[in-house]
Amino acid sequence: MAETLRRVLNAGGAAGLEAEEGAAEGGSLLLLGGPGSGKTALLFAAALEIAGEGRGPVLFLTRRPLQSLPSRSGSALDPLRLQKIRFQYPPSTQELLRFLCSAHESRGPTPALLLVDSLEDFLEEEAGTQDTAYLAALLLDTAAFFSQRAGPGRGCGLMVALQTPGDGDSDGGGGALLLSLLLRYFPARCWLQPGPCGLRVCLEPGEGIPRAEWSLVLGPDGEMSATPCATQAGDPSTGPGAQG
Amino acid sequence: MPVTLWAATLPAVVEELLNEMAEAVRESAQIPDEHLLSLKFVFGSSAIQALDLVDRQSITLISSPSGRCIYQVLGSSGKTYICLASCHYCSCPAFAFSVLRKSDSLLCKHLLAVYLSQVMKTCQQLSVSDKQLTDILLMVKKQDV
Repeated sequence: MAETLRRVLNAGGAAGLEAEEGAAEGGSLLLLGGPGSGKTALLFAAALEIAGEGRGPVLFLTRRPLQSLPSRSGSALDPLRLQKIRFQYPPSTQELLRFLCSAHESRGPTPALLLVDSLEDFLEEEAGTQDTAYLAALLLDTAAFFSQRAGPGRGCGLMVALQTPGDGDSDGGGGALLLSLLLRYFPARCWLQPGPCGLRVCLEPGEGIPRAEWSLVLGPDGEMSATPCATQAGDPSTGPGAQG
Repeated sequence: MPVTLWAATLPAVVEELLNEMAEAVRESAQIPDEHLLSLKFVFGSSAIQALDLVDRQSITLISSPSGRCIYQVLGSSGKTYICLASCHYCSCPAFAFSVLRKSDSLLCKHLLAVYLSQVMKTCQQLSVSDKQLTDILLMVKKQDV
């Protein structure tokens, strides 16, 4: 999934930065950022990217309906792509669990991407350690099942957005534990933070793969323009992980 | 069973050990003593308990026509626990406490038993309907409330 996001960000920047055709990709990614940091816009861009590949529909799970569709230019808002994105609005954690537990009963085309926006909406009701772990594990299990059904070389990706507590939020105890728990299940992460110009997007694809950074500006209509940044490797103070 | 299952969740040394054990089972249908000693070194008393669960054939692979599957482990106390087949999760209290909360264990005896039963190919098999599998997955949730 990290590769899909890389493609999305590079396509949103200057022309000519289009990444090489990625192989059909499964895998998972956790998208982390404060309130209003552009997580939904990035999820939606990833949904359009995968929908355009024609490998299967995209399942977009969110508790609250999107306020507006980002009006991006060009082929991105092609109605054929939009048709491939299926929104589901589970009204409660229990309904989300029911959806995931019964995913194998659904007939119809196998999704190529499973997206969950605002996972925190599904965590507040019952924030127990084991409940959170089971939800994370079930998300991975459902994506793994879709991948298995899709067949070799296809795969179903999983991208989950989670709001991290703001700086002024002193309630670090329980939230920090749940975050560290989720990080165990998602080795690939993308952090969104306010930067000097727009947003700083930091992609950590996982063990052994170097980090990549972009500076991202989101327009009023949801259009994105991303500029790759040189990463300062070896300087731990610049890593978002170090800021806890 | 694909051995890659462990790749994302376990440290390389454990994965290597399990792979070596799988190879030994393929070649000679038994596990050499030194592997059992390494297992005990890495997992302590959990290793013995997990091997005991395997010996008593307490691990069942439950699958439905859809192809989705989960593991059910009958614990020594008579309770059954659910382990997910695709990632690291067991519904037992030890997993919640020692693995998730305190991070002082890599896994619980049930998950280790699942991995060992894959290595030794001693899983019981059970086929259920798609609907029944849904109910089992939903029950995991109720179980730990």
